[in-house]
Amino acid sequence: MTMARKALMISPELCIGCRGCQTACKEWNRLSVIKTRNTGTYENPPDLTPNLYNRIRFVEMPSETNLVRWLFVSQRCMHCDDAGCMKICPAPGALFKTKEGAVSFNKDKCIGCKLCVVGCPFNIPRYDDKDKVSKCHLCSDRIAEGLMPACAKTCPTGAIRYGDRDSLIDGAKKIGYEKVYGEKDLGGLGAIYVFKDAPKIYGIDEHPAIPETVVFWHKVLKPLAYLSLGGAVAVSLLHYVAFGPKKDEGGEEK
Amino acid sequence: MTEMVRKTNAFEIINHWVLAISFFILAISGYGFLFQLEEMNSIFGSFNQMRVIHNWVGVVFAASLFLTLFSYIVEALSVSADDIGWIIRGGGYFSKKAKVPPQGKLNTGQKLYYLVALLTGIAIAAFGFVIWLMPGVKKWILISHLVHNISFDLMVIAIPLHIYLATLANPGTFRIMVYGTVPLEWARKRHEKWLREMGKI
Repeated sequence: MTMARKALMISPELCIGCRGCQTACKEWNRLSVIKTRNTGTYENPPDLTPNLYNRIRFVEMPSETNLVRWLFVSQRCMHCDDAGCMKICPAPGALFKTKEGAVSFNKDKCIGCKLCVVGCPFNIPRYDDKDKVSKCHLCSDRIAEGLMPACAKTCPTGAIRYGDRDSLIDGAKKIGYEKVYGEKDLGGLGAIYVFKDAPKIYGIDEHPAIPETVVFWHKVLKPLAYLSLGGAVAVSLLHYVAFGPKKDEGGEEK
Repeated sequence: MTEMVRKTNAFEIINHWVLAISFFILAISGYGFLFQLEEMNSIFGSFNQMRVIHNWVGVVFAASLFLTLFSYIVEALSVSADDIGWIIRGGGYFSKKAKVPPQGKLNTGQKLYYLVALLTGIAIAAFGFVIWLMPGVKKWILISHLVHNISFDLMVIAIPLHIYLATLANPGTFRIMVYGTVPLEWARKRHEKWLREMGKI
């Protein structure tokens, strides 16, 4: 029996910006705290780091009814089915899929080339001080044991929920969300979102895609690497059979 | 004793093999990266080690390629009507009787091969260094990754053909990169203009 694909359902409307998920993630993954500067926003830290797999992005929007409209959204690895990072990675086992569909990593196998950084449509992978890849792995160690990822476990409002991907999508549609962000993109994301506004407002790419050059490389240049070599050898052999080596005793020369 | 003429000097022979061996190491590890071939662990120890080797052998390859300029570039860029004739007759490779116009020290095919090897070599090395030295810089890495791989695909066409033409297809050629000398008679049939320039015939 194959296991149904798991996912995180993120509902920014339910998020209260408590950042419990950031803390729980750090605790479970034993990620140390880094010093940041107050730049006049509650958003903290300002970006993902090798020690921060998941963070709440704070978005301030003009509002007609309130002083400001404040939006919170979890930014993390999306666990793409068709993952650009895995596609471009040259080191076997450095990035891998778990049976739940999480894109996990093994630092021992990572060679520190940072190609995954440019292959990712969401700008997620970070590198630690030993030049090894670092990112959300959907708590692959927890979910393998049937537990929830730390962020979902700790979220007090249900803004981050974990479960079977299909039933999460069905559930969202049943309560009136027409579109689930990430349902189909990149083969289907493992972190799916329901937005009441355009994803763009939340700082999330509406049409995420693996860079075209990486797709071209994967679909054309990679197979060509074998075909070219094989073709050149085959042409050589065929020529040898058809025409043979050049002989000196042609005799036509004067 | 057959009279011999020297076609390559010791420097050229050694540099040729430095270039060839570095190419093979780079190509094998390159295929390893391209297709995540776990088998490479048994050759290179680990992918981490393979990366270090691939990068530094790349430096050797680039240096060796640079040194070939002193040996071949002037000759490779000297073109005459005989080169057109050579191309029209397919270098004499597609008929047992074809006669090609007299050739210089390098024939037209060799000159073209050198230019292809030089240009793809420069591209693969230069953009390889970008991948190595500018990790994570998206704009640069994407273009470099693309060009590095396109040049690789071209090289794995060009180099097997080069090996075939220098061994099976043209008996007597391989020794040029071993001993450096060829029989005068052999050279007269293939590099007549060169021998005339040297006053050997």
